[in-house]
Amino acid sequence: MTQRMSGKRRTLAGFLLGAALAPLAVCLFSTMMLPAEAQAVGSAWTSGLHLVTPAMAEAFGSVGLAALVQSLLGGLLGAVAAVSTLPFADDGKTLAARSLAHFAATAALFSALLWVCRWVNSPRYIPLWVALLAILYAVIWLARWTGWYVEVMQLRELLGLDPGPTPLKWRETMPYLPFVLLVCDLLPLALGWVDRTFVVDVPVLSGLILPYFLLPVAGFCSGVSLGKRQGVCPLYPPACFVCYLPMVWLLFNRSALFHCFMVAVPALMGNLLGWLYRRAVPKKETT
Amino acid sequence: MKVELKIEPGRREPEIVILAGAESEELDRLVRELSGLALDPVPVWREDRALLLPQGEFLRFFAEGKGVSAQTAEGVYSVRLRLYELEGRLDPRRFVRISNSEIVNLDKVTALDLSLAGTIRMTLNHSVTAYVSRRYVKKIKETLHLGRRDRT
Repeated sequence: MTQRMSGKRRTLAGFLLGAALAPLAVCLFSTMMLPAEAQAVGSAWTSGLHLVTPAMAEAFGSVGLAALVQSLLGGLLGAVAAVSTLPFADDGKTLAARSLAHFAATAALFSALLWVCRWVNSPRYIPLWVALLAILYAVIWLARWTGWYVEVMQLRELLGLDPGPTPLKWRETMPYLPFVLLVCDLLPLALGWVDRTFVVDVPVLSGLILPYFLLPVAGFCSGVSLGKRQGVCPLYPPACFVCYLPMVWLLFNRSALFHCFMVAVPALMGNLLGWLYRRAVPKKETT
Repeated sequence: MKVELKIEPGRREPEIVILAGAESEELDRLVRELSGLALDPVPVWREDRALLLPQGEFLRFFAEGKGVSAQTAEGVYSVRLRLYELEGRLDPRRFVRISNSEIVNLDKVTALDLSLAGTIRMTLNHSVTAYVSRRYVKKIKETLHLGRRDRT
């Protein structure tokens, strides 16, 4: 009952947030539009901030109606996103079924938002965007699974089924490696592709958001998680560095080498912080 | 090993104290066995025949239909107690609930595996399979920490 109430509150909060974020996102896009690009798309982009894309306003015949539809779709997507963690309360087949159902609902709303609001130039890009969403789901699943795996490892150790830590904790670091590969290799490739297909002709995602936000946050959070569970794992920051290295030359050039540090240094800091937390807050024991 | 029995008139409950110079696996095992003997045996039924089995013999207790069953290495018995009643009677350092419908003997766990869908499979005595609900993982950890602390 409490979970149901919590779900309703989260749905409502997600709807309101999504409804507000959708026009804000378009406003942000409109500030990023270069003059040349604006001319190519239509002069409407040049006149300042926009709540909806000019193509959507034209399709609906009125900016107000278009903004209403956009907020409704954004709100529905936000509501679905807000309850994305609820399926993880279960396990086994129930978890798989509920996750699939949630993905289907999210993909449908996401596709509707992209096309009805004319956030993409052509509907042929939508399956690729859905594929990107599927990758995001895979990353979340993998992160969750990694947490469960570490928990099982801890249980095995407590039950006397597992030997002690491996040298440099390489085995303990291994469960995090698929996550690193996804964040440091798959994500940059995907964002690079998105930048090429998106209506804004600026590599905002791969050139700005990836190195200055996504890589540090992912490196730091995974480092904290690893540190809290396994203590200091010295191989983890170098692994992040090495995994990103091919992307420097595949997507950018030598000047982007600093991207490797943008993930490795936060990973090191997070790992140390997680280790300090583990030392400072001993595990609760019942008496 | 020297064994000594002291009779103290007026003492209501027997107490066993082991004196040793250092910890060892043998001592741990002895403590576990003695602890198991000290705990109340559990009454079980098979074909209308009642038996009293020591707690250490049980692999698990599980809900089956409307009743509760107990499994040992020898077989399955029916138990005329609810799972929550069993929880109150069983050794809390050894038995733990792993799902809404199952209590296992942690001393009998021989393997623990995780599936891709997040299902934790527990193997008891190399043969019996039980599934752990993730909601109970924290409780299992606490029980294991408690058992370990009490033994040290």
